[in-house]
Amino acid sequence: MVCPTAKTTRRIIVLILLACWELLPRLGVIPSLFLPPLTLTAAALFSEFSVYWQHLLVTLQEVGAALFFACGGGILCGMLLGSSTRLRRLLLPVVSSAYAIPLVVLYPLFTAWFGIGMQSKVVFASVYGFLPTLLGAAAGIQTIDRSLMMTARSMGASPVQQIRYVLLPATMPTVLSSLRIGGALVIVGVVVSEMLTSTAGIGFLISRYRTMLDSPRVFAAILLVLMLAILFDLLVQFAERRFTGWKKNVPAKTFP
Amino acid sequence: MTTMTTVSARGTVQVENLTQIHRSGERTTHALDNISFTIPAGKFVSVVGPSGCGKSSLLMLLVGLAQSTSGELRVAGRPVAGPDPARIGVVFQEANLFPWLTARKNVEFPLMIRNMSVKERETKARDALELVGLDEFGDRYPHELSGGMRQRVSIARGIVQDPDVLMMDEPFAALDEQTRMVMGDELLRIWERTGKTVVFVTHSLTEAIYLSDHVLVLSARPGRIIDRIDIDLPRPRTFELTSSAEFIQIRNRIWEQIRTA
Ligand SMILES: Nc1ncnc2c1ncn2[C@@H]1O[C@H](COP(=O)(O)OP(=O)(O)OP(=O)(O)O)[C@@H](O)[C@H]1O
Ligand SMILES: [Mg+2]
Repeated sequence: MVCPTAKTTRRIIVLILLACWELLPRLGVIPSLFLPPLTLTAAALFSEFSVYWQHLLVTLQEVGAALFFACGGGILCGMLLGSSTRLRRLLLPVVSSAYAIPLVVLYPLFTAWFGIGMQSKVVFASVYGFLPTLLGAAAGIQTIDRSLMMTARSMGASPVQQIRYVLLPATMPTVLSSLRIGGALVIVGVVVSEMLTSTAGIGFLISRYRTMLDSPRVFAAILLVLMLAILFDLLVQFAERRFTGWKKNVPAKTFP
Repeated sequence: MTTMTTVSARGTVQVENLTQIHRSGERTTHALDNISFTIPAGKFVSVVGPSGCGKSSLLMLLVGLAQSTSGELRVAGRPVAGPDPARIGVVFQEANLFPWLTARKNVEFPLMIRNMSVKERETKARDALELVGLDEFGDRYPHELSGGMRQRVSIARGIVQDPDVLMMDEPFAALDEQTRMVMGDELLRIWERTGKTVVFVTHSLTEAIYLSDHVLVLSARPGRIIDRIDIDLPRPRTFELTSSAEFIQIRNRIWEQIRTA
């Protein structure tokens, strides 16, 4: 699918962006307080690598735990909701409305309930990623062709075999796309909550260095968040190629 | 694959006083009413009837995917208790291939379900694909095949365990007219080579007469058998035959029955 020209183009765009990051502040187009040059940012990152590493570990743990709850729970509940017409009618409107609540304003409550340590971040990010993941999974599960299950049954597949050989592969694309939605939101949730009230984590570093007006260190932390998000996306992409390679070129089924 | 035609008595299909009443919530639908017929082994039998008369319901019972309200159903003298692809192969209107598996893996699927060894699976799948003329296409995914090819894969999957009976519910209905005719000839070729009993549900009277030894005509719902017509036209059947006086006479007779029933 990916033709070499598109790939090269993408690389060139990334290179241009990186070059702008270095050159614009150097040439004085942007004050380096707003955007410190890439090399200065990288230098800040490496000179205090152990500090960043220590805080990155905290963030990673929070993201990992929140991913488990948001995506695990969201995908599971979404599938249950999506596969039962009755549940869907009953709960989907509620879930959709709940989705509209700006959760960030509730974050002070989370810190009141769970303290300012890792727990409040995990809970907040889990809740933050849960609903969109659930909605994505609920919509995805409905696109699964039910006649495939009947076909498997006609070939003598036991219920367990139907789940393993038909339901699982058929839901894989939904699971992965839900994971992508949920994962991105969980990272946002963790970093934002760290920025608001906390004692550790990359988000905490961002807001601490910002109050010190130490731009290179702020951007070094931002760089880490970006890399975390990109790494996560690459992992999901890898899984998509591995498990849902057959999906490419399949004409999209009409959405119910 | 060897071209021996051995008609085994195991392909006999017996249906006695079969009645099917669908219940969904409050509503009940009387789909089949007291149907009885016997199909001798190795025969090609079509089932026609007005839309909604219960043809698919009948087929679901025949392949063990549904439970009848009352009546008896035997293939090779044994009752049909549930899906049994080694005895009864099924082909639906839609090919229903698993999109994440190649054509070959799709054909191997029923064998994998039974934990057959990989080697044996591969041999059988290759033979089945060869029989439907797709040995070159085993590594393609369903979306890389045409509608006709997909349905061929589906047929290969239905017969990969060499069942005595092949049950088909409007298998060519989703295909264009030309492909449909080609597929009909193809099916006849496979049927002649393998000697299976074929039960073939269709909307097309021409197709039914062209392919079959016997045609069962069902009435509007609740479906009852209103006629059983022996098609004594010579084989191999040719396209010209469809415009012969005899052919047209049979078709008119069936149409008249369906219209007035
Ligand atoms: N699972 C079911 N639950 C309830 N009613 C059903 C079910 N399956 C079929 N019916 C009803 O039984 C009747 C016969 O349906 P069936 O699909 O067997 O007809 P058919 O002859 O195959 O029709 P067509 O020619 O359009 O395919 C219809 O009225 C249908 O609505
Ligand atoms: Mg039908």
